Amino acid sequence: MAEPMGFFTDTTLCIGCKACEVACKEWNQLPAINGGQNTLSGNSYDNTRRLDGINWRHVKFIEQFDANDPNRTGGRWLLMSDVCKHCVQAGCLEVCPTGAIIRTQFDTVVIQSDVCNGCRYCISACPFDVIGINEANNTAMKCTLCYDRMLGGLTPACAQACPTASIQFGPLHQLRARAEQRVQQLRQRGESRAYLYGVPGDGYTDRIGGLNAFFLLVDRPQVYGLPERPELPSRNSLPGWLLGWGSGILAALGGLLAFRQRRMAAVEEAVAVPARGREAAPPQEE
Amino acid sequence: MLGERANPVHWDWLVLLEMFVAGVAGGAYVAAVILEVSGRGRSPAARTAHLLAFPLMALATLLLIVDLARPERFWHMAVMNERFLPMLKPWSPMSLGTWLVILFTLFAFVSFVDALIARRLFTIGGWRYDRTLHGTPLGLAWSLVGGLLGLAVGIYSGVLLTVGNFPGWGQTWMIPAVYVSTAMITGVAAVVLIQALVGPTDADVVSLADANVWLIAWWLVNVVVFLLTLVGGGAAIFLRGVPLIAILVAIVLAGIVPLVLYALRPISLKGNLVLSAVLVLVGGFLMRYGIVMGPQLH
Repeated sequence: MAEPMGFFTDTTLCIGCKACEVACKEWNQLPAINGGQNTLSGNSYDNTRRLDGINWRHVKFIEQFDANDPNRTGGRWLLMSDVCKHCVQAGCLEVCPTGAIIRTQFDTVVIQSDVCNGCRYCISACPFDVIGINEANNTAMKCTLCYDRMLGGLTPACAQACPTASIQFGPLHQLRARAEQRVQQLRQRGESRAYLYGVPGDGYTDRIGGLNAFFLLVDRPQVYGLPERPELPSRNSLPGWLLGWGSGILAALGGLLAFRQRRMAAVEEAVAVPARGREAAPPQEE
Repeated sequence: MLGERANPVHWDWLVLLEMFVAGVAGGAYVAAVILEVSGRGRSPAARTAHLLAFPLMALATLLLIVDLARPERFWHMAVMNERFLPMLKPWSPMSLGTWLVILFTLFAFVSFVDALIARRLFTIGGWRYDRTLHGTPLGLAWSLVGGLLGLAVGIYSGVLLTVGNFPGWGQTWMIPAVYVSTAMITGVAAVVLIQALVGPTDADVVSLADANVWLIAWWLVNVVVFLLTLVGGGAAIFLRGVPLIAILVAIVLAGIVPLVLYALRPISLKGNLVLSAVLVLVGGFLMRYGIVMGPQLH
């Protein structure tokens, strides 16, 4: 297996230019919209709105301005180029019933479009709400971390296009070391809120083993629309099956007992009625 | 856990209908098992249950296939693409469920054929109307395995919802328990309804209806525990709007009214049997509607 590869997205360097979105769409030949007309979201400069089957990169615009502060001195923009996290333990891969979702030799998670049959279970399983149906081919799609480019020794299109190195691509261990240095650098410069989301031991993503596409953030995960504690779908498997079987077996046994009790009573009644009838009848003359 | 979900799973009416129909099939088959274990494997009610289960499973399978975004690739669920080996991931409820549906449909099919043979429609070698599978020790064994598969089919679709990260579904463990108990009450109700309408309303049917009263009480316990797991947590997404109304109406129709009818009048009255069965079927459908659609509508 090749060395695990991934993305390190430093949100403090993002300027919201969306070059990553454009590069991603161009390389992967993704449509601008899933039919219909393009519309404005009314939410800051974010008209992409979300990650889905045709948007594999999404630059989030988070405006933090206090309405009671007319000078806007304490305000700030948080910009983040969001992407599939290529989880170390991926919920989508776990539940996919067709084997369409695979882990590649680069430790990334890829949906094979020629295998996917569009059951949409991966959409429900993803803790980051990344996957959607691409109506061009009616299969579930998401970022492949440019698997085809990686096979050719190329950098993913988004990282290649990013003008500020907010999106960095490389071997995971190198990216993590670089990210730790960047956090220290920011803290020394006074940005004490800087931390990494998606590295081992971060206190957030431990339940899924961390992320191969991780982020440097300066506010709580929820502010960026990231879950505080992403979890694997299988956490509910054992209790769900146990409660289901417990309820089902009890129902069947209870139903069986109730049926037999009632039927015995009916049979006894049927036997008793003719007997009572015989007792009540006048003696037959011989 | 995410508060809002941007990407829809679109498990809408086809999935809802499939879950309901497969649940009725599984419950009906278990009703036949109850009859067979009680020595009534050749009774008209047991035959009706067998005649019901297979066509419903065939319909459920069709609904599942049509619901896929790429229906022509339905076989990828059971057979590996290109390698043509069996595709099974036991830890994935949908993958396991695919095999449960296949196996249960197979068992239901044999019982279905057995019921047709019992009606003297045809014979297959020594498999004749006077030598049917059910009503024999082999038939009992077949029934027991088939019944377990029927229960599993009733359970897996609830597990499928629970095993995920969709807000609401992924935040309670009780959906499988509610699902399987819904399958039981609706399956038994379907058998009672058909028998009351077109077959003899004999002691078996009356006793099944009587057993369903117990099952309804058990279903209500499951539903109440399910609702309690929702209160206060993030899964309160169920307890709003139309889904909440559907769940409440389901409790009244499939739970409270049949129990009151049972308490007020003898259950053996034909009209009473029909009314209770219809209410249970409608209520069971509404319960599934509330659970499937609830989180998706918000």
